[in-house]
Amino acid sequence: MAKVKQQTEQTFLQDLLDFQGSLNGKSEFLDEVRLKGAEEVRNTPFPTKKLEDWKFISLRDLYRDSYELASNLEVDFPDFSEHFLPESKESRLVFINGSFSAEHSSTKALPEEVVIGNIANLAAEGNEQLKEHLHKHADFEDDVFTSFNSAFLEDGAFIYVPKDVTVEAPVHLLFIQTDADKNYFTTSRTVVVADEDSEITLVEDHIGLGDNKYFNLPVVELNLEDRSFVKHTKIQRDSFEAIHIARTAASVAQHANYESYTITRGAKLSRNEPRIFQMDEEVEFTVDGLVLIDGDQVSDTHSVMDHRFSHAESHQLHKCVINGKAHSVFNGKIYVQKDAQKIDSFQENRNLLLSRKGLVNTKPQLEIFADDVVCTHGATVGQLEEDELFYLKSRGLDEQQARELLIYAFALETIENITVDSVQELLVDEVHRYTERQLDSELTV
Amino acid sequence: MLEIKDLHVCVEEDGTEILKGVNLTINKGEIHAIMGPNGSGKSTLSKAVAGHEAYEVTQGDILFEGESILELEPEERAHLGVFLAFQYPVEVPGVTNKTLLRQAYNTIAREQGREELDPLQFEDYAKDKLDLIDMKEEFLDRSINAGFSGGEKKRNEIFQMAVLNPKLSFLDETDSGLDIDALKTVANGINQIADEDKAVCLVTHYQRILDYVTPDHVHVMIDGKIAKSGDKDLAVKLEEQGYDWLTDVASVSVNGEQ
Ligand SMILES: Nc1ncnc2c1ncn2[C@@H]1O[C@H](COP(=O)(O)OP(=O)(O)OP(=O)(O)O)[C@@H](O)[C@H]1O
Ligand SMILES: [Mg+2]
Repeated sequence: MAKVKQQTEQTFLQDLLDFQGSLNGKSEFLDEVRLKGAEEVRNTPFPTKKLEDWKFISLRDLYRDSYELASNLEVDFPDFSEHFLPESKESRLVFINGSFSAEHSSTKALPEEVVIGNIANLAAEGNEQLKEHLHKHADFEDDVFTSFNSAFLEDGAFIYVPKDVTVEAPVHLLFIQTDADKNYFTTSRTVVVADEDSEITLVEDHIGLGDNKYFNLPVVELNLEDRSFVKHTKIQRDSFEAIHIARTAASVAQHANYESYTITRGAKLSRNEPRIFQMDEEVEFTVDGLVLIDGDQVSDTHSVMDHRFSHAESHQLHKCVINGKAHSVFNGKIYVQKDAQKIDSFQENRNLLLSRKGLVNTKPQLEIFADDVVCTHGATVGQLEEDELFYLKSRGLDEQQARELLIYAFALETIENITVDSVQELLVDEVHRYTERQLDSELTV
Repeated sequence: MLEIKDLHVCVEEDGTEILKGVNLTINKGEIHAIMGPNGSGKSTLSKAVAGHEAYEVTQGDILFEGESILELEPEERAHLGVFLAFQYPVEVPGVTNKTLLRQAYNTIAREQGREELDPLQFEDYAKDKLDLIDMKEEFLDRSINAGFSGGEKKRNEIFQMAVLNPKLSFLDETDSGLDIDALKTVANGINQIADEDKAVCLVTHYQRILDYVTPDHVHVMIDGKIAKSGDKDLAVKLEEQGYDWLTDVASVSVNGEQ
């Protein structure tokens, strides 16, 4: 794509680079990653609306405000154990404002051969696997946010599942953001490597405990070797004032299967960029999403499904429920490279618009250079059907119950695929709380 | 139980008058049948009783157990014990029959001061009702009407009626699209549900269902009015002679009024 000439926008983010050096000294390896990241940030302008890929959302809030490094803040937080998953009592890594909390974490349930821990510690120990995989799979060329994440990379989760190992317990990666007086930013990195014939289930969970402003910029890299199977559920429940800009990259090798579900409920502004790269023939991947937004929330998903070899089956069902003045953006790129034959790709963006002032921008984008390919794609924007509402009410359900049931039914298609029971339940509760808010007349405009 | 007095109903959207002064009284323990040509307003009457927003009552009243229900929401009418079996049952993908009915049953029970049922109790209760109309258990866990055949949808309406146990049921062409065996089963179900404390109003085009569910009163609706009422013999006569002879009478009487 042609580069759009861009005026450099002066942002506080760039100024932050001055403090970046203070992180050095604990691990040479990380120092290098950061140095390189900082270099890239210096040379890459932050995106503005002038760029095609950013034209629907405004990052002014992010650029205008100043943020502090989260690890420099004193943290003070209430008990958050209600957010622990019962299935992951001993397979949980907790990060508070980006820093690892050993006190809240436990990995006892994982097989001994599995390498699991926080990046800061593993890097300090000079862990070879970490060095081999960190920053190898996040293939976001010229992306200043990925570089920014590298420039301030302090901590995050690392998991290496060796050959033939199946991790039974779902691994809960809990990112807690606390309430604070000052705006802060946090740049966690998660690296997951599933070696041949291995299997793991991940629940990446971002929770804001307050309603404060912060900038959460997580980067997740996944590497799936031959015949491995990774199920990845991401739940974003950041504070309603937060900015969440995320990159998730998965490389999928032969006969491997990457199944991901991304649930977006929080943040004032969120941008997800999942990118799936097919590394060999015969792969399967799912990149489903569920977005529940209201008020003046903005949720933007820009995804890339890159089919580079023959025989791939890919699935993307991106569902959004929009109320109030909320704004949903979807741009789903499907690439099928030359000689990548026998590709079966499904993509659909379905929007349920509950209010008059809600806004939807949707754009499936297919770039297909092979000829033996089946790509179905589409986008719909609909409302709650009056007939359905009347039918349910005539059975005795009130407005709230009827709406909730219909929204729940809309959302269910995504939720029911998530195999961790407690996650399903908490999402049902989220849908319930979401619809409850929808009857608030101020939200439904 | 139900008193409809000089009911005039317009389409909310464009103001077209569809019901032009309907009078109808249904007492406890009675079974009524409403027949009439296509487009005469039978479904509109049923939906007006159930409280559909698209229809505006411009004149007259609907009393249920002596009180006007015009100001009540559809669900409030359901709580009182009013039920409508839809001519065209709505498909609600993603919501199972069980989910809807348990929530509906418990909401109504709560409103009427009766005991609610927990999921297991409800399952047993619902299964009994399924047997009543010979429906397979799997229908409990299927999305409401989604992918149901025409006949299955109709049967599902009667199943819902059996579960919710309403005082007054309007069954809008529930017999249409049913095969002969299904018709008997559904009729049998209706007979079992209808007792001396309840009332049923069947909207139908065919005399056949009335062989199994014997109506106390038969009404003919023509052009938004009840043009004639009688006993079950009226249905037989309509089956033989059609509506022409009545249309004339109706138009004469309309003229007579002017
Ligand atoms: N929402 C609406 N908007 C406009 N016209 C309507 C609406 N609902 C009903 N009508 C009209 O009102 C008239 C009566 O319709 P209704 O469905 O009540 O007839 P019916 O007696 O049930 O007919 P059928 O035997 O075909 O089911 C019809 O002419 C129909 O087109
Ligand atoms: Mg009709």
